Amino acid sequence: MTIKRITFLQELLGLFGLQERVHLAWISSAEAQKFVEVVTAFTEKIKSLGPNPLPAYRDAPRAALAAAAH
Amino acid sequence: MECKLVPSVCSYCGTGCGVLFEVINNKIVGTLPMKTHPVNEGKLCIKGWNLHEHVNSILRLKQPLVKTFGRFMKTDWDEAIQLTADRFKEIIAKHGPDSIGVLVSAKITNEENYLAQKLARAVIGTNNVDHCARL
Amino acid sequence: MKEQIKSWLEQGTVDVFLGYREVDHHPIPWCFTQEAIEEVDDLVVSPARYSLEKIATHMAAEDPDIRIGMLARDCNNRALNVLYVWNQLRPEQVVTVEANCCPSPLKEHADCSYLEPGTVGAYKKAVGIDNHLRLEAVEAYGPEEGRNRWMYEFQKCIKCYGCRNICPVCFCRECSLDHDDLVGTGPLLPDIPIFHLVRAVHMAGRCIDCGLCEDACPMDIPLRLLYQKVNRIAMDLFDYRTGTSGDQPPFSILGDRVTLEPKPIQPVTGAEA
Ligand code: SF4
Ligand code: SF4
Ligand code: SF4
Repeated sequence: MTIKRITFLQELLGLFGLQERVHLAWISSAEAQKFVEVVTAFTEKIKSLGPNPLPAYRDAPRAALAAAAH
Repeated sequence: MECKLVPSVCSYCGTGCGVLFEVINNKIVGTLPMKTHPVNEGKLCIKGWNLHEHVNSILRLKQPLVKTFGRFMKTDWDEAIQLTADRFKEIIAKHGPDSIGVLVSAKITNEENYLAQKLARAVIGTNNVDHCARL
Repeated sequence: MKEQIKSWLEQGTVDVFLGYREVDHHPIPWCFTQEAIEEVDDLVVSPARYSLEKIATHMAAEDPDIRIGMLARDCNNRALNVLYVWNQLRPEQVVTVEANCCPSPLKEHADCSYLEPGTVGAYKKAVGIDNHLRLEAVEAYGPEEGRNRWMYEFQKCIKCYGCRNICPVCFCRECSLDHDDLVGTGPLLPDIPIFHLVRAVHMAGRCIDCGLCEDACPMDIPLRLLYQKVNRIAMDLFDYRTGTSGDQPPFSILGDRVTLEPKPIQPVTGAEA
């Protein structure tokens, strides 16, 4: 069920090009190494993607849309 | 079970969107936009969508109130109108007709607005008439 | 059809019959009863669609045992199925008279009526989303283009709640869209895209694609496409076919109220495997 829900979310966010910002991984409490790897990799990925672009549209919709037009 | 959809016009602003009141067992339970109405073509703003709420609201004023000794007291229309007229006369006699202003509303019809300005100009004698839509 | 309805009313098969009648040249939903049976002669199949099933739920809320007859197009039937699934009406208490679906293709991908095929202006086509597009075309926008186009549409929202109010399958007592901790009642612009996405998520497994919301949206936001998207996902992932049957389990993607077992759910007659 969880994997389906996450896939649902990714699909929906895909409309906005944000699907990459949701990640699901199974890590047992015994897999400390894997936890570190997954979290580090995901943090790196989010950093490289930069801040969430959506709030700009809400806070200053005209400016955000004008900026996007260029 | 009695259920009726009653066509009406939204009273909240001068646009005048067509609405249908959903009346079940003589109680208004909802408002719908009238799909075939030429003004709004099946759309409403948030005020129109909630028109039915003020009809049944417990806060709704159904009777005129007069402030006596700092408290609002219920009264009847005759008394309320008489009192208003007396006070108007008093004020006009003391300060002149231009001390009175009339503010009308988009919530009432054109005809009522016309009557209100007529009352202001011809009866009270002032040109101080304004309208809430003149923002 | 009128004879059938009259005999239902006379014999007490139904207590009321919901159809349309012209009042001052406006076809409006009308509740026909035995007491005023002659009105049935004025019954019309209106080109203007209202959610008769929503009116039916309001009547059933007053009198749970009421038996209701209803003029039903395909969309009404799909909505009834969802209402049965969610226990808002019981299938035993509703009988329908089938009415032809409104003339296609007023709207290119429509299987139902729009009063007039709305025209989409050049600017909206260039920066927003053409409501007449197919979902595939909208999905094909790149990440940035898709985002800009959707956000252009969402920022027009005047938060009239019309999309929720008119929807035949929106019946929740407490709605997340005016829950202060979730979306909040006050500010305009609403919290975009949360306002629209919250509703979209709730429409998964509920929306029967009647298009009434888009019809009622003063800002012409392509809501139907958005809800088609979530239902496409519900079908692909969960094999849930919204509105096709009145005896499938309710579908809810949220929280512990999920009652749905992962696939396969019960087969639906006529649906491809
Ligand atoms: S629904 Fe809104 S826009 Fe229409 S008349 Fe009422 S207040 Fe005005
Ligand atoms: S198309 Fe809109 S109004 Fe119709 S069921 Fe879906 S969300 Fe509700
Ligand atoms: S009907 Fe349109 S404008 Fe109104 S709240 Fe829904 S999306 Fe916003």
